[in-house]
Amino acid sequence: MHEMSVATSLIDIVLDTAKNNNASKVTKVFVKIGRLAGIEKDALLFAYDAIKDEYGLIKESEMVIEDVPITGKCHKCGKTDTYTEMFFACSSCGAYEVELLTGEEMSITEIEVD
Amino acid sequence: MGKLIIKEKILSKNSDMAKQLRNKFKNTLVLNFVSSPGSGKTSILERVLVMLKDKYKLAVIEGDQQTSNDADRIEATGVRAFQVNTGGSCHLEASDVERGIAELGLDLDLLIIENVGNLVCTAAFDLGEDAKIIVLSTTEGEDKPIKYPTMFRVGTAFIINKTDLLPYVDFDIEKCIEYAKGVKPDLDVIKTSCKTGEGLQELARYIEKMIQIKKG
Repeated sequence: MHEMSVATSLIDIVLDTAKNNNASKVTKVFVKIGRLAGIEKDALLFAYDAIKDEYGLIKESEMVIEDVPITGKCHKCGKTDTYTEMFFACSSCGAYEVELLTGEEMSITEIEVD
Repeated sequence: MGKLIIKEKILSKNSDMAKQLRNKFKNTLVLNFVSSPGSGKTSILERVLVMLKDKYKLAVIEGDQQTSNDADRIEATGVRAFQVNTGGSCHLEASDVERGIAELGLDLDLLIIENVGNLVCTAAFDLGEDAKIIVLSTTEGEDKPIKYPTMFRVGTAFIINKTDLLPYVDFDIEKCIEYAKGVKPDLDVIKTSCKTGEGLQELARYIEKMIQIKKG
C-alpha cells in the first residue's frame, strides 16, 4: 500500500506545476502506469481522491490513468511481444533475454487547468 | 482552460534524492535487502556480517514499522546499526537513508539497508543502492517471482533461504529459479540456510567481490 506515497508525490508535482503556471484550478491529471509498476490502480485513485480535498487547487480534479501493457523485444531473434503473463520469454524462440520496452512506467504526462 | 505538459516520473523527488545519495556513496557499496516479512534477512545478515566485519567497515540501516529489535540484533554482532521506524509506511524512502548516514557517517566499505518486509512497495523506491538483494524462503510459494515480478525485475541477486527445510515443504527450488529467470534472466542465485550454514560463505564472498568492484 505505497499508493499513498505515490499519490502524495504526484500531488506535489501537480501543485507545483499549477502554481508555476498561475492556474486557478486543475481539472484533470493524466498519468501513465505500467502493468509492471506494482501499482494498484484503485488504491491510487482512492489515495488521490482522499488527499485532493486538502488542496483547493485540485479539489475538483479527476485523475485519469492510462494502463501501459508490458512489451519487450527479444535479444536473440528480434521479435517484439506483449506479455500477459509475468514471465518474459520470447514467443518465437523461447529465449529469456528480452529487453522490456514498456510496462514499468509510473509517470505524469499532463494536467488540464483553468 | 489549457493543458500543461509535464512528462515527469511521479517519484522523481525520491529518485533525485537517491541520485544525490549515489554520488555520496563513491567508495561505499550499498546493498538494499528486500523480502516478505520473515524470510530471514536479519538472520542472514547476523551471520554474514560477522564474516566481513574484521576486514571491512560496515554499517546497517534497519527498516521496520516498529521496534528496534533488528538493529539490536545487528549491534549484538558488533556491527553498527541505525533503526528507522517507518510507522505506518510499508517501505523505506531515500530520505530515510539520508537520516541513516547522518548518524552512521560515510566512512564505510559496505552499507546494508534492510528494508521493511514487503515485496511490492519496496520495489518502487530507489534508495541510492548499488544493488537490490531479494531474499525468499522455502516456506513461501515457489511462484513468488512471477507473483511479484516488479521486485524480481529490479533485483541483482536472489537468495533462497531456509534450504534446510526443503525435505519438509513442497517448495520446488528448481521451478522457483526458473520462474525468477523468466522475469530477470541475469539474476545471481545463492541458496542459503542459517541452520546448516549452507551458502553463507558463498554470499560473503559474493558481497566481498562487489565491494572490490565498487572500489575499483
